[in-house]
Amino acid sequence: MTQSSETAGNLPAVLEAKGMTKRFGSVLACDDVDLILRPGEIHGILGENGAGKSTLMKLLGGLILPDRGSIVIDGKPRRFVEPLDAARLGIGMVHQHYSLVEALTVWENVALGETGALSRERIRERVIAIGERYGLEVDPDAHVRDLSAGLRQRVEIIKSLRREPRIIILDEPTSVLTPEESEQLFEVLGDGVRREGWAVALVSHKLEEVLQATDRITIMRHGRVVEQVLTAEADAPSLARAMVGRPVTLRAGTAAIGSTFEQMLDPGPEASSDGRSPTLEIADATLSAPDGALLLDGLSLEVRPGEIVGVAGVEGNGQTHLSEVLSSLLTLGGGGVMVDGVEIPTGKAGAMASAGVVVIPADRYSSGCVPEMTVAENLLLSSMHKMATRGILRRDEITARALELIDQFDIHVPGPDVPLGQLSGGNQQRVVLARALSFAPKVLVAHQPTRGLDVGAIEYIGERLRAAADGGIGVLLISTDLGEIAALADRIVVIYRGAIIGGMDRSEFDIERLGLLLGGSVGAEGAA
Amino acid sequence: MSEIEAPAEPPVAGRSIAGRWLPALEMTFIYLLSIGGALLISAVLVSITGNSWQTVFGALLDGALLGPGRWGETLAVAAPMLLVALGMVIGVKAGLFNIGQEGQLLMGAMAMAFVGTKLDGPGGLLLIGGLALGMVAGGGYAALAAVMRFRRGVPEVISTLLLVFIAFQVVGFAVTTDWVLRDLDPGRPSRASTSAPLPDDVRLPIVHIFGNEFPVGIIIALILAGIVAFMLNRTLWGFRIRVLGHNPKVAHKIGVGASRMGTRALFLSGGLAGLAGAVMLSGGGSAYRLSPGFSTNIGWQGLLVALLAQSRPLVAIPMALLFASLRTGAGFLAATGVERKIVDVVQGLLVLALLVPPAVQLIRERRRAVASVGEES
Repeated sequence: MTQSSETAGNLPAVLEAKGMTKRFGSVLACDDVDLILRPGEIHGILGENGAGKSTLMKLLGGLILPDRGSIVIDGKPRRFVEPLDAARLGIGMVHQHYSLVEALTVWENVALGETGALSRERIRERVIAIGERYGLEVDPDAHVRDLSAGLRQRVEIIKSLRREPRIIILDEPTSVLTPEESEQLFEVLGDGVRREGWAVALVSHKLEEVLQATDRITIMRHGRVVEQVLTAEADAPSLARAMVGRPVTLRAGTAAIGSTFEQMLDPGPEASSDGRSPTLEIADATLSAPDGALLLDGLSLEVRPGEIVGVAGVEGNGQTHLSEVLSSLLTLGGGGVMVDGVEIPTGKAGAMASAGVVVIPADRYSSGCVPEMTVAENLLLSSMHKMATRGILRRDEITARALELIDQFDIHVPGPDVPLGQLSGGNQQRVVLARALSFAPKVLVAHQPTRGLDVGAIEYIGERLRAAADGGIGVLLISTDLGEIAALADRIVVIYRGAIIGGMDRSEFDIERLGLLLGGSVGAEGAA
Repeated sequence: MSEIEAPAEPPVAGRSIAGRWLPALEMTFIYLLSIGGALLISAVLVSITGNSWQTVFGALLDGALLGPGRWGETLAVAAPMLLVALGMVIGVKAGLFNIGQEGQLLMGAMAMAFVGTKLDGPGGLLLIGGLALGMVAGGGYAALAAVMRFRRGVPEVISTLLLVFIAFQVVGFAVTTDWVLRDLDPGRPSRASTSAPLPDDVRLPIVHIFGNEFPVGIIIALILAGIVAFMLNRTLWGFRIRVLGHNPKVAHKIGVGASRMGTRALFLSGGLAGLAGAVMLSGGGSAYRLSPGFSTNIGWQGLLVALLAQSRPLVAIPMALLFASLRTGAGFLAATGVERKIVDVVQGLLVLALLVPPAVQLIRERRRAVASVGEES
């Protein structure tokens, strides 16, 4: 995909952004950013969450207006007042969060935004034609709600291709895709770049992906461009350094760079928790779906104070149900959960929280935070009762405590009274983490705590989980990311079809056996 | 008020404005402008239909404020409207849309009528007991919807609405059935079925100020507006209600059960509507007599007040006063020979006018942002 990079540099820019600046409250999201997109070239925009990548893309797409700066397209200065202005000039955007109507069919979604009379046949044909031309086949009559994340993204891309754009902006396109789907996406992009001379801007925080798919890389940090390099001349460590602003050395950080397991598996401190009685004990937990399917099938698991237990497994083997049981959101059909030897009723509002079990959910929007409420309110969600005198909230104390946590967890935020929804994803996750840890839990359950985050944030969260365990908290890390588990866990167990089918200590880590377990084949030994 | 409107989309350009006073002034101006616009269109409309707009507006103003005894009347109408709106606000904050206030209000009034005409005791005690029982009746009636919602998953929007029609039938039955509430006095003034009037000592006291009958009900409503605002924003209970309204899963995690808290919220929501009914009856509504048409749309209008106030309890106060003024003003129009329907149109225009400023604000901010880019480049 990088073969065109030698010639691309000579072509004139199709889009040139100069001095783009955008401020949200007291946060400078984009600070004097320059960017040049050339035809026949994939330009990677790399940076941590909150580095200003998405803001820059939204400025280019006309979704938000810059405070300062200019955009020149084909040599002419342009000013976008609304997204349609950008679309008319040939800019197509594929957003991080899909803007599809689930109840409608594919062709109906593609037709959204058309004016005048709609011709069902014409649009269906168009969908099929685009699909064939770019290898984006999708059934135009399928309902979007029935499509996988990968197919939904195809629909998004077809939507933007319908106007035959010359400039295509993709904001974190792979964050919800499987590796195969990502691979297909890059093939489509590479094809379009070669055959049609597209200029592509690809926003990502995944180093591997940017190295593999792009011709040129712009690295952003704290709203500024810190480096622009040719991909051919870049390597992962130097990019990571530029992104974070310092060398990434921690074990937790290496997971993100994608090093091999051998590198990560330095012996690490021996788990000091042997012999202590478990703080969390799940015994023979079963849970059925309304249709009778077994979601948890006799799952048993122990976490001792001071250790990180990693629950590895392919997605969809009951991880979400396990995490929701520990959030009091699901009631077990059989078996039980004990904390420090005391049986905790499952499914009872607040029971797990008051027993000292705190969960960082995989999807923070579903049960991790309330974006409409303020940062302070979110930070203190589970401890607000301690901030009230006879039911009346002590507001000064709430603000003071929130400021303390904001400082302690290094959350970038204009102030404690800003709605949480206005923060970047990484900072929202820090709020969730800050709340979980400040609660002084006995058990911390982290389900995919670093999904969608960048190197710096991953490193930070890994560090915090480690510190929590060292402080005597039992940590249950549920993740599909083997790198993450290998980097952090003292003990690894594997979840398969709603049960723990095996496990190993850090000292006896065996990648082959782990692979077998993930696939559901229990080797010679039994369960952990 | 410190509520935050949900910013579902990324922050729009220009949301952050340095000063706080200027925008507030600006918004007041926009409100005045858009209400003025609505009045202007109304005037044109009235003139086209062959009436004099001076007469119409004069009549509206006389009816609402200037005529003898009128502002007292307006406040008496505003009181139950505000109470209903406060109930709606509590429901919305908990994520529950109780739109059956018209029925809950009737149930509250019926409880008041029962206590006042069927029980014996000292008047003051009966009055307070009637108000309390009115609240319980309205709340209990709304709680039926809560039970259906949390036991069987029936959406409360539908059940509360349908319960309104049942309430009408229940009241109709009560006032036409001898052994329930029907007035058995052979010398009663009208032949229509009503309850007996509340005895003199079970009525809210009437205070005369400047020739107006100042209704005590409005004081109750204003105090409750303050209490509701305080409860929602400054107490743990309000915090929990708001968490529940925004995200029931998070609420469940931190120990706020949807069915317990939601039932309480709906009970309070209906309770305030029931109190509105009890206040109306004991404050002199339809001559202290309960009849099937007693509620006269106060429940629906209170709902509108809450919507226009965007669920802010204190903003509901001016909105309730405005709607009450329109209502009492309209009563005087008949005398001018103008069709009442015109007043409905005027009222509709005013509702629209109140919806315009938030929209204008958004557009202006966008324009301003565009303009500032223009200056720079």
